[in-house]
Amino acid sequence: MDAYLAAIVSVMLIYVLLALGLTLQYGLTGLINFGMVGFFAIGAYTSALLALHGVPVVLSVAAAAVVAGISAWPIGLASLRLRDDYFAIVTLGFAEIVRLTLTSEKWLTNGVQGLSRIPPIYEGTGTAAAFVIVAILLAVTVAAIFLIHRVAHSPFGRIIAAIRDNEEAVQAIGKDPARFKIQVLVVGSALAGIAGALYAHYVTYIVPEQFVALATFYVWMAVIMGGVGRVSGAVVGTAILMFFLEGSRFLGDFLPWISSVQMASIRIGVVGLALVLFTIYRPQGLMGDFTKR
Amino acid sequence: MNAITHHNAIVADRGASGAPPVLEVERISKHFGGFCALNDVSLSVPAGGLVGLIGPNGAGKSTLFSIITGFIAPSEGTIRLRGSPVDTLSPFARARAGMVRTFQVPREFSHLSVRENLMAAIPDQAGEHLFDLFFKPQQVRIQEEQGAALVEETVDFLKLKRIADLPAVKLSGGQKKLLELGRVLMTRPSVILLDEPFSGVNPVLIAEIIDRIIELNERGISFLVIEHDLEALTRLVGRLTVMDYGTVIAEGAPQAVLADARVRAAYLGGPA
Amino acid sequence: MSYLVLVQNGIAQGLIIGLAALSITLVFGIARFPNAAAGDMLTFGGYAGLFAFSATHSLLATGLAAIAATALLSLLMYYAVFRRLAGRSAVSLLVASIGVAFMIRAVLGVSFGHGQLVYEIELTRPYIVGGVRVSPLDLKLALIAFVTLAAAFGVLYMTSIGRQMRAVADNSDLARVSGIRPQRVMASLWLLAGALTAIAGVMLGMKTIVAPEIGWEILLPAFAAAIFGGIGSPIGAVAAGLILGVAQELSTPLVGFTYKIAVSFAVMCAVLVFRPRGLFGKAEAVR
Repeated sequence: MDAYLAAIVSVMLIYVLLALGLTLQYGLTGLINFGMVGFFAIGAYTSALLALHGVPVVLSVAAAAVVAGISAWPIGLASLRLRDDYFAIVTLGFAEIVRLTLTSEKWLTNGVQGLSRIPPIYEGTGTAAAFVIVAILLAVTVAAIFLIHRVAHSPFGRIIAAIRDNEEAVQAIGKDPARFKIQVLVVGSALAGIAGALYAHYVTYIVPEQFVALATFYVWMAVIMGGVGRVSGAVVGTAILMFFLEGSRFLGDFLPWISSVQMASIRIGVVGLALVLFTIYRPQGLMGDFTKR
Repeated sequence: MNAITHHNAIVADRGASGAPPVLEVERISKHFGGFCALNDVSLSVPAGGLVGLIGPNGAGKSTLFSIITGFIAPSEGTIRLRGSPVDTLSPFARARAGMVRTFQVPREFSHLSVRENLMAAIPDQAGEHLFDLFFKPQQVRIQEEQGAALVEETVDFLKLKRIADLPAVKLSGGQKKLLELGRVLMTRPSVILLDEPFSGVNPVLIAEIIDRIIELNERGISFLVIEHDLEALTRLVGRLTVMDYGTVIAEGAPQAVLADARVRAAYLGGPA
Repeated sequence: MSYLVLVQNGIAQGLIIGLAALSITLVFGIARFPNAAAGDMLTFGGYAGLFAFSATHSLLATGLAAIAATALLSLLMYYAVFRRLAGRSAVSLLVASIGVAFMIRAVLGVSFGHGQLVYEIELTRPYIVGGVRVSPLDLKLALIAFVTLAAAFGVLYMTSIGRQMRAVADNSDLARVSGIRPQRVMASLWLLAGALTAIAGVMLGMKTIVAPEIGWEILLPAFAAAIFGGIGSPIGAVAAGLILGVAQELSTPLVGFTYKIAVSFAVMCAVLVFRPRGLFGKAEAVR
């Protein structure tokens, strides 16, 4: 039971990191990143490959953040002048291309077979090791929460909130929205890269199939349910998401006439329903009414 | 300087004294597809001047504002700020160079408070750079304190104290107009383009805004003002430019311009 | 010679992309948001057609059944979801359309499983035209696509409701004051959008397989074609769909099968950066 709890908390903390990245990008700045999973995948493969070649995990995770952040740069340069719905399509496409690349470039990624025996975050077995891993993930998450909180309540945070409210008015007071948006995109994507790296070292086995668009919308569901634009919302929303993901697994165990394939479909359907219902009835999320959209 | 007419006379003199214009619009044209929105428009704002821009709806005034401030690219023509062309500069760069605008429908940062709206407009803040934010916290804090003091001056000047901590979305239309004026003031501009500063504003507040603009003008800031309220505008400006169908049809001292038959026909709806 | 085969496949693929892109561009132009559910509507059409085809083995019945089912689904989507979000930002509608897409896929997955289904089509001897093998099925599918496109353009350009739809796409404010009833226009739009994706789904199902993911995989090329053709331009969407379909196939000897979608993505990014209004899009709006 302890091990199970530790596993759930570990996965949840990784999702919290993704949700924090999206909170910075969408919640605070209004950037519609539909390609979160692409940066998550880049982080996972970067760190896994480096670690498999003997680089210490600490360094490989840092490298994952850098590579994921840098890969967001050209996307930002190319598309930040676009209207936000076009930007959403571009990021969605980017994540698909990342997944295609991971599948195709077998010399690097081992294709659909994926990478296995990735060095874990912490060597060791048993409950004690599991709790050390939780502690490490918690430390990273708390650091990320501090970072996002500091950014949100700073002059930088004021400008990105202004960009979310009215981008042209930001130009009219002499500030370049593109600079802020690119930085937000890079930092949020680096955070997703760290989350991906920690995920790779946590599960120690990754394949391209784990990085489908659905994962992006798990994070969106968490952020939209928790409350857009609030750090606390990212945490609460992720907790609800985990309850739902794990709950559906339990439900599958108790309802044997529902096959696991059907359960996977039902899970997709519930994510869809949540996105629709929250968009229609509670766009501000559960945690209150900050951005009113 | 209570008598507004007196003030106008001074502005007119200053305009005529030969100082180089702060803003020059040279032969601007704009075509949208086959439609010609602006045709060969030229005008200038003398340094320290207060110029009004009037014309019927659809005459191209707001399009001209957007072209001057870089939000729309012209098909032809040049914009000069203090003598140098700014055609290659993006809107934010033109604002940084000292030319700022307000919008016909106010574009407040609705989820920020009035004070935060003003703080956001202060130029060159270290705290707006992520590196400085985390590695020079001391400098960020000092600048924030200095900025807050500047904001208090503007809040006092525009008499926004009572509403200074409200989110801007809660303000009335007139208060939002004042807030936008305050926001552009924070950028320390040399010329301000006001797009209908009096529309939807009650008469008491209009008088207030006029006083503020005149005071700012006396401090050396030039203005170009689009306005439909002719009575208020003539209390304010020393020169009028009239546009219709995308061209300038008259220009000069307000009384003379408004007496012009073509202007009366175009603007006041018929040869009254 | 092999290039001719690729071109032929590309045209078939391009017609599918073009039909989906036409659906997307009409919704984008008139309801003003990128409809991410278009891919899964297409999947739905593929399934609907599959069952009609198993029952009747008639292409005409298959097409009509798929159109009827998907157009109804589309109308339901409009009344249940998108109409409630009228006036909200394009992004809200986009997020909701992704939700709708997932729900369609979930219903299909729960009902029919994740296995691959195929249209049981009898093999027929290909015609040899100028040394090129052309299968009769391909010709029939192309014919169906052209008939569908002709009907869609007929509706858009020769009927009163079509003129109203294009008027709303050109200028929704102007259309409103000139007495166009938006409800009727929107209902017609969604029926037409559904019908177009239905035929695309039947064609895709007949050419390849039917599975819950097939539509999602065509979504990116379809978005690319809608943007490449110029948002709101019906002819642009179809032309860009054909160009992208052929370009994707011709690229396979160079970049490999898996990367052909990347060709569409690259074209889309290039268009967005260098010519955002696409091939046939309108110039920037007046004021």
